[in-house]
Amino acid sequence: MDNLKEDLKKQIIEQLNLEEVQVADIGDDDLLFSTDGLGLDSIDALELIVLLEKFHGIQVTNPDEGKEAFLSINTLSDYIHKRKG
Amino acid sequence: MSRITAYCHLNEEYCSVNGAILAERDKESHDSWFKQLYKEQEFAYPKFHKMDALSQAGFIASELIKRANPKIVNGYADDEIALLFGNRFSSADTDSRFRTSYTENGAPSPALFVYTLPNIVLGEIAILNKWYGENMFVVLPKFAPEFFVNYTEILISTGSKAVFCGWLDITADRTNVFVFLVESEAEEGIDCNVPNLREYSGI
Amino acid sequence: MKKIYIGAETIISPLGEDVRKNFAAIRDNRSGITLISNAGFNDDAVYLAKFLTVTPTFASLIAATLNLVSDQLDPTIVSSGKTILIVSSTKGALDQDISDQFGKSMTVITEQFGLKNQPIVISNACISGVLAINAARNFIDAGLYDHAVVVGCDLISDFVVYGFQSLFAISDKPCTPFDTLRNGITMGEGCGAVVVSNTASIFNNSPLGLLPGTTANDANHISGPSRTGEGLYRTVKKTMEINNLVADDFDFISAHGTATVFNDEMESIAFDRLGLNHVPLNSLKGYFGHTLGAAGVIETAASMQMMRENLLVKSLGFEEQGTTKELNIIKKNTTADLNTILKTASGFGGGNASLVIAKR
Repeated sequence: MDNLKEDLKKQIIEQLNLEEVQVADIGDDDLLFSTDGLGLDSIDALELIVLLEKFHGIQVTNPDEGKEAFLSINTLSDYIHKRKG
Repeated sequence: MSRITAYCHLNEEYCSVNGAILAERDKESHDSWFKQLYKEQEFAYPKFHKMDALSQAGFIASELIKRANPKIVNGYADDEIALLFGNRFSSADTDSRFRTSYTENGAPSPALFVYTLPNIVLGEIAILNKWYGENMFVVLPKFAPEFFVNYTEILISTGSKAVFCGWLDITADRTNVFVFLVESEAEEGIDCNVPNLREYSGI
Repeated sequence: MKKIYIGAETIISPLGEDVRKNFAAIRDNRSGITLISNAGFNDDAVYLAKFLTVTPTFASLIAATLNLVSDQLDPTIVSSGKTILIVSSTKGALDQDISDQFGKSMTVITEQFGLKNQPIVISNACISGVLAINAARNFIDAGLYDHAVVVGCDLISDFVVYGFQSLFAISDKPCTPFDTLRNGITMGEGCGAVVVSNTASIFNNSPLGLLPGTTANDANHISGPSRTGEGLYRTVKKTMEINNLVADDFDFISAHGTATVFNDEMESIAFDRLGLNHVPLNSLKGYFGHTLGAAGVIETAASMQMMRENLLVKSLGFEEQGTTKELNIIKKNTTADLNTILKTASGFGGGNASLVIAKR
């Protein structure tokens, strides 16, 4: 469980080119898309979809699904577990 | 008389503003040359790291020119500064990277795709500065001083008061960037004409 | 203000190999969009407005278009020293050579047509076409040239299809601009041309009048439109002001109308801010698809044909209002006096452009 969250943080930093961010900077509950959190934008959301496919084999066919799932590392991790059954 | 009031050169070896070298590339560094400049010149704009090479070059050069000419920051209305850039190969370098994302790296990358247009650099500069003026990106076989002199005059006669011009020659194996600011009511500066542009561009 | 003319409008697209065939198709409300199998990244079928029999190369399509243009003009014009060729395109000959998308093609065209001045390629995303026509007028107004041939050309490629798929921007049905159920763009390809000149007599058919146009940046996002339509609002406002025009002066608006949820909404907000809600409006992308760098020229050419025929053509794909602000979307072909029209375009990089054509 914890490995997934740590992996996700590494993958996000790599896939989204978050240069000035370290794994330790991302709290599990931080709001990824808030300016107080990671400040991700709409293109980043699309890259998260690519990330899910590439690293976790999960296909997202409707970007609106992402709105709930991508709120934080926690929700992302829950979403992956749910999709993988 | 329109005058060139500041200019910036950025090539593989160094970065200079108004002819004076500002920074030289550290070939030993793990960072890309543009990232090195971003850090050394102490810019604070995290979006920089998402930009492609054209946009990073345009960002650095225009920001350095603003630092050399701070009056332009507040000296014009938000639609009086035009952006007129060009190059020979469009966004070819970024295009190749996007293509690799789907031919070799598993899926087309949206973050790369949005940079596969050469005019995006103009958008990045406009967003950063909240400039709502005229924009144009042209593709020409080589730097054409006549074109820049003529079209800056056209822009100035149709309402722009200043024009950021740029030639962004960036390919996988070459970096030769020349960005210059033309102001229509400057009291000092280099007259914006073809011989001067040829000379100061060094291209 | 100097009188500057626009004429010799030309279109080569999946709807036909000349402008009359294209106009006949749009008059019949026929679309060039078909379902193309294996076109998507996952080998999925995708709706595209694609040449079905032969896909031309970038240079050959421009050459074919220039031949048609030449037939409509005094034969000395295209190769005259007072003529400039301006090409508007986003990806040029990318499929043939990703590292040199324009250079070789421009060399070939220059030689083939004996052009005396180096062609200028304007590559400014989806506003390129409108921007190129405005630039042509600017050059002539400044006395640098007497004539400008403006060609807008773009071809569909895996590159752009996959790219727009990665943005989830492609519609799963033929695009329906401004409609409540719209859900994305349909890509198209083709080549359009117009000739801009300070001399009416070079045209075989009487030209129309081209007024000064402008561009403005949104200063908001590189790939999404401003929610307040700021850039589009500013360019149209500027264009109206320099031409002393008010909303009531316009008989028709050829909007950008890509059929993404955000673009069409943004346009409705901008047009509402300008008081243009009641002007008959369409998007031509239901017929041609979104032809990117060619769109501004193809759609201007089609709009000029509408003016000559005094026919408001139906906004194909539209059924029910799908924008917050109401617009006067043309629901069926209607005869009308079309004397002054507005053409707008918006694109990646925050660009927005507008031009005005008026009968002389």
